[in-house]
Amino acid sequence: MKDFIGLRAIRGAGYTLLLLLEALGYINHAWKRRRALFTQMHVIGTQSLAITCFFMLLVGMVFALQTGIEFARFGQTSLVGLVIVSAMVRELGPWMTAFVLIARVGSSMAAEIGTMKTSEEIDALEVMSINPVSFVVMPRLIGYAIMGPILTIFGTLVGVAGGALVANVQLGVPLDDFLRFAERGAEPLDIYWGLLKSLVFSLCAGAVACANGMRTSGGAVGVGRASRNTVVVALTLTVFLNYLLTSFYRMVKRLVAGIL
Amino acid sequence: MQTEESSTEALIDSTPMVEFAGVCKSLGNRKILDQLTFNVKRGETFVIIGYSGTGKSVTLRNLIGLMRPDEGSIRVAGEEITTMSNKELEVMRRKFGVLFQSGALIAWLDLFQNVELPLLEHTKMSRRKRTEIVQQKLELVNLWQDKDKFPAEISGGMKKRAGLARAIALDPELVLYDEPSSGLDPVIAYEIDKLINRLRDQLKMTQIVVTHDMESAYTIASRIGMFYQGGMLQIGTPDEIRTSEIEEVQHFITGGREGAVSRRSTTAIMKGRSPTFSARLEAGRGVEAAEPSGDAAPTIMELEPESSPIDPENKP
Repeated sequence: MKDFIGLRAIRGAGYTLLLLLEALGYINHAWKRRRALFTQMHVIGTQSLAITCFFMLLVGMVFALQTGIEFARFGQTSLVGLVIVSAMVRELGPWMTAFVLIARVGSSMAAEIGTMKTSEEIDALEVMSINPVSFVVMPRLIGYAIMGPILTIFGTLVGVAGGALVANVQLGVPLDDFLRFAERGAEPLDIYWGLLKSLVFSLCAGAVACANGMRTSGGAVGVGRASRNTVVVALTLTVFLNYLLTSFYRMVKRLVAGIL
Repeated sequence: MQTEESSTEALIDSTPMVEFAGVCKSLGNRKILDQLTFNVKRGETFVIIGYSGTGKSVTLRNLIGLMRPDEGSIRVAGEEITTMSNKELEVMRRKFGVLFQSGALIAWLDLFQNVELPLLEHTKMSRRKRTEIVQQKLELVNLWQDKDKFPAEISGGMKKRAGLARAIALDPELVLYDEPSSGLDPVIAYEIDKLINRLRDQLKMTQIVVTHDMESAYTIASRIGMFYQGGMLQIGTPDEIRTSEIEEVQHFITGGREGAVSRRSTTAIMKGRSPTFSARLEAGRGVEAAEPSGDAAPTIMELEPESSPIDPENKP
């Protein structure tokens, strides 16, 4: 019973949730720890910008090409703009950015905290009466939560641009047509919803990474395990959450449409 | 008037800085601390020696409050810490300085910032005052010229010295050392020992050192406690330990060259000379029951008389 895998997962989930809440409770230390926070925002955000943009550019291009092939069968290639914008803003933007961040930031965050744990740095902080959640976890989590949505904005814009490029060059859709339909692809509520999703993904992935780091034991092997678990759990969690959130959003939209 | 003052002073001095009474702690199914009892007086350097992996570090972790004992009482400066809340423990820990085995410096801060960290977190000092203190502490450990280096750029010995500077940044009453000389060459290990002695003599700090380096133990100790099977086998001055008649102590301090221990003679020694141990034997929790298992556990109990650990027949 002690090693029952479900029990371990539940314990891990509980710890992650508590850690997330505790870290958010230390948000008032953010000003005192602004240097650490800015460092993290730089590492998580600025340094991930190029890879995120490159990734999203290609996602947008492939997406435009694929949908363009289908639309061409019906002679509706100019609709590509609409599909790309709606998909990018609501789904692909937040989601793919979250993927890039989990792979690039989440894994390294877990490894970094895990190494601190195994080299007694976390213990040392505790002995110095410096709460490790405030000192280590909070700046990373808040930095993640701030930079996730910002990167999503960049990623989405670049993704749409990639789609426009392919639509224009390979599908022969004039830019005017593309933009005309693109405007109808998303309303302001969709944009906010996309950003909210990104915030949720960022908090989840950040909490999973920090929790795995803080629970590391057993030297180098343990650090590797923490990093691996982070990627697996965070990816699974975001995919699952994305489905739930999208279903919920669709329900709300229909409800609102019914009232109006 | 004069006498009254000095008598109160003597009274304060005589309360032990640290009191362990009947502390028990199990990890998994293994009993690590078994009725551990000892006192550390103010201003002394108490050295805990003992075989690797038998619970010396666990003793320290219980004292710092990173672990809580299953039974027994731990008092620091007269205050019971086993029942403290985390908040109270945080306040208490400001009286502590701890030097971890690897120094445990924060990787993304340079040496100056590492030593400054406790000052930043717990005091409202001006930047100038902080710089002054950091300089003083880093000069004490002879690292001021390396203040801009990061932990990854310096050697193990430097990390330990920097860790020591950080541990004493807030002038703690009690400094704990976990293996201060492990992994260092003899010259640097001796440097650390001299620092520990200087802290005792000049700053009157109470210090507890966990080590298995006997050279260093003799250099720094006011008293030495031999940790064995969850309890203190013998506590005494360095000379008393050096001339100890207990076989296990001799075996340990001579690195196994003397005092070959057999199961039978151990039992005899414990029955004859150590009342706590004989009491334990009678209670049915004797040598066998308390014997720690695990990869790092001492194997001396398994040896037959006259056999040596490198005897090929003895190999598993």
